[in-house]
Amino acid sequence: MLRLINVHGFFWLLLAVPAIGMTIGFLRDPVTAFDLIHPSGEFSVRFMIMAMMISPLRALFGRQRWLDWLLARRRALGVAACLCGLLHLAFYLYDMGDWGMIAEEALIFSIWTGYAALAIFVAMGVTSNNASQRAMRANWKRLQRLVYPAALLIALHWVYVDGETMGMIVHFAPLLLLETARVMLMFKRRSARSGTGAVTG
Amino acid sequence: MKFAQAMLAVAAATAMQFSASPDAFATGKMKCDAGPQSGWKSRTDLEAKLKKDGWTIKKSKVDGGCYEVYGVTPEGQNVEAYFHPVTMEKLLVSQRGKVIFKK
Repeated sequence: MLRLINVHGFFWLLLAVPAIGMTIGFLRDPVTAFDLIHPSGEFSVRFMIMAMMISPLRALFGRQRWLDWLLARRRALGVAACLCGLLHLAFYLYDMGDWGMIAEEALIFSIWTGYAALAIFVAMGVTSNNASQRAMRANWKRLQRLVYPAALLIALHWVYVDGETMGMIVHFAPLLLLETARVMLMFKRRSARSGTGAVTG
Repeated sequence: MKFAQAMLAVAAATAMQFSASPDAFATGKMKCDAGPQSGWKSRTDLEAKLKKDGWTIKKSKVDGGCYEVYGVTPEGQNVEAYFHPVTMEKLLVSQRGKVIFKK
């Protein structure tokens, strides 16, 4: 099993399991679309957070084999987040079933934040390949950094749709703590460097 | 490294704390002090009344001691609504988090 998980194709398949399960559930009984909106969105967030945690973990722990392993699979996690986000939208659109109502709701804060985040995900998703990375050069990295505003938009979308914060906090807290630790460590190293500079300089 | 490990431990402990507490997942949008469930009107009755009024019901459940209904209003809005389980009074209606009625 451990050897199998190292095969990239298998890892992609593993990430697709929730989406496959939800799609089968929907095809068997389309009424479930309403109940599948939330879990599909949650899986999208989980994959995004897993992908986003790799950078701060590397900053905190340095180069580790398990982090290199995760880093090599970050693209798969990001694409899975994007595809689950699209599935989330598909279930929502099916459940609504009326373009007039969909357009009316699109102006509500909790809904347009979701659309905006998904637009970023799609832009990142379609450029998640080596050819785009080469063609876009420095802009590719700039585009990838849009995941931070996307994460903020998703947090707002979640809280405002649900009307409660706990679900969002449970998911985002580990990432927030890791990012805080990364920033603190960065300042600590910077002040240590400037301290050394003052002594030697 | 010690600093990083401590932060990771805090992150893991926080996540475990929240996931271990079922109360953490109560929505808290509306609370009804409606007494024991034996005195409540049935959810089926509420759904039947709403359908008669022109609602389309997607799902209903108990939340915060109230009846929570997901559905489409006669005006065509997809909403989440709370009703008192004894009086069946409408307490809160929100459309994707935007409150459109509150008693």
